Amino acid sequence: MLLEFGSGCQLQFAAGVFMTRPFDLGCSIGLNRSRIKIAAKLKDMAQTATFATSKNRSGDRLDIRVETVTKLFRTPSEGTICALEGVSLDIPNGEFITVVGPSGCGKSTLLKLIAGLSAPSSGRIFFQDEEVRGLNTKVGYVPQESKLFPWLTVEANVGFGLSSRRYSREARERQISHFINLAGLAGFEKYYPAQLSGGMSKRASIIRALAYEPAAILMDEPFGPLDAQTRMVLQDELLKIWEQKRQTIIFITHDLVEAVALADRVVVMTHRPGKIRDILQVTMTRPRNIFEIHRQEGFDETYAKLWNIFRHELKIGAR
Amino acid sequence: MSKPASQDSTVVTSGEEAVRNRTAPIVSARTLGVVAIRIGVIGGFLLLWQIASGRWIEAFLISSPSRIFTSLIAGFQSGDLLQHSWVTFLEIAIGFPLGAVVGIGLGYWFGRSRILAEIFEPIIIALNGIPRTALAPLFIVWLGIGIWSKVGVVYLLTFFLNFFNTYTGMRQMDQEYIDLARLMGVKGWRLTFRVIFPAISPYMFTGIRTSIPFSVIGAIVGEFIAATEGIGFFIRLSAGIFRTADVFVGIIILMCMVIIMDQIAGIIEKRVLRWQTQTEHVRIQA
Repeated sequence: MLLEFGSGCQLQFAAGVFMTRPFDLGCSIGLNRSRIKIAAKLKDMAQTATFATSKNRSGDRLDIRVETVTKLFRTPSEGTICALEGVSLDIPNGEFITVVGPSGCGKSTLLKLIAGLSAPSSGRIFFQDEEVRGLNTKVGYVPQESKLFPWLTVEANVGFGLSSRRYSREARERQISHFINLAGLAGFEKYYPAQLSGGMSKRASIIRALAYEPAAILMDEPFGPLDAQTRMVLQDELLKIWEQKRQTIIFITHDLVEAVALADRVVVMTHRPGKIRDILQVTMTRPRNIFEIHRQEGFDETYAKLWNIFRHELKIGAR
Repeated sequence: MSKPASQDSTVVTSGEEAVRNRTAPIVSARTLGVVAIRIGVIGGFLLLWQIASGRWIEAFLISSPSRIFTSLIAGFQSGDLLQHSWVTFLEIAIGFPLGAVVGIGLGYWFGRSRILAEIFEPIIIALNGIPRTALAPLFIVWLGIGIWSKVGVVYLLTFFLNFFNTYTGMRQMDQEYIDLARLMGVKGWRLTFRVIFPAISPYMFTGIRTSIPFSVIGAIVGEFIAATEGIGFFIRLSAGIFRTADVFVGIIILMCMVIIMDQIAGIIEKRVLRWQTQTEHVRIQA
């Protein structure tokens, strides 16, 4: 650990371009050998560094760490069900990660565990270096259906998470109107959820989770029930909002195009018991054009890879 | 950031229309017609009653609208009727809120605690199986023939209806609302009052509104059994001496009580539940 940090400092000193990002141990040992080697290594690292940032456009530390987590459920009809088995996943700060997998593979369970709504049967989950025990109020949660509180207006729904935190009245109102404008809901502040269309309540549901600025946002197939057009519009909006703040997002979906289009990395899960089958790196640049995502470089290739894996999974699921 | 998709805005306009329709007073020809026919039916019935009385059916059996009206005026003028009404009102005014609050509170509590529900649910269902008015004589034995025994009966009838409705509401409640609220850092009494109660409020109001007529029934049954005053006592006394008109006077007063209480509850309900989609929903009283 110490060594890593030391090397980071040296690096900064040697080639001011680099930020405080600690590099791997191998590099730092190389650094200590000779000046010539340093130069050579530096070139190497320059590549590694750019690669790393393009990989996860990340901040400096892990936000979420899932450590060999297993989750068992006891059901009255089928006995014990293994929803997740030995799932490990590291998510750096600011990464947009999508999770795909056949239905019933424990995707939602994974989110519930990270949110601390239920506890893993074995294994551990860390959120910003702290183990998740009990409710994790640092995450925002966007459920499958909008689940706006029907007894509150759009405005009150968006501000719901703000009231209990340390926001002054002014800051609160500013925050609410900022997000309402961002989501194109201006003019509908006083509407009740029952008066909104599907797309609008979805928007409201998302900004409700964003408004109180949680460190990470968990989204459980948020665009699932929407029609294709609304869906694309919302994907586009989500990316634009996200580009501004760059929270960590875990986004569950069953739509492969959506998974590739949004993500930095795509996690593919297997059928029950849910395991991580593969993690794909999406190399497309940002900002992305959702409406013509097929034309973007890197999309086809990643999609083909993903489909290949998924096809295999489907066969298993169908048997 | 971007405008709502076009298909969104179409839905929204219909939403706006819904709002307008709800707030604007609708006095259409149709509504007028409905009211006119309603008045016609009531008037026709009263007229028929007036004619039948003394001609086709003995007057002391069915009295007549005109006699009932004079009795009503006379009753109030002597102050007798006012006293009886006041006593009955008092019994309901004490027993009903008490039963509603305790019923809602306990329903909420049982809905929260799984262990409580597991232990007591069968017992409460069994208790609910008892025709509760059959317990009224016991209340007279326990609490005497004053107003408190009637308050007890009113309480009993109100309590169970409110308890069951609230409890059902708690059982039907969407776990996801609670999870979401807790993730957003809301807990304790704020969770109760900002999330749980609003979520179950439709059930609470069903309980309250269905228990209104029952609270009146409770008071009257109690007064039938043993009392020295109250509308129930007045009805029984009048029937005993064949003053049929006075019986009807008592019934009319009870009817008015139920209607007024229901109207008040209806107004409150409409305010509290204004977030619900305001389709023409079923009401107990028109």
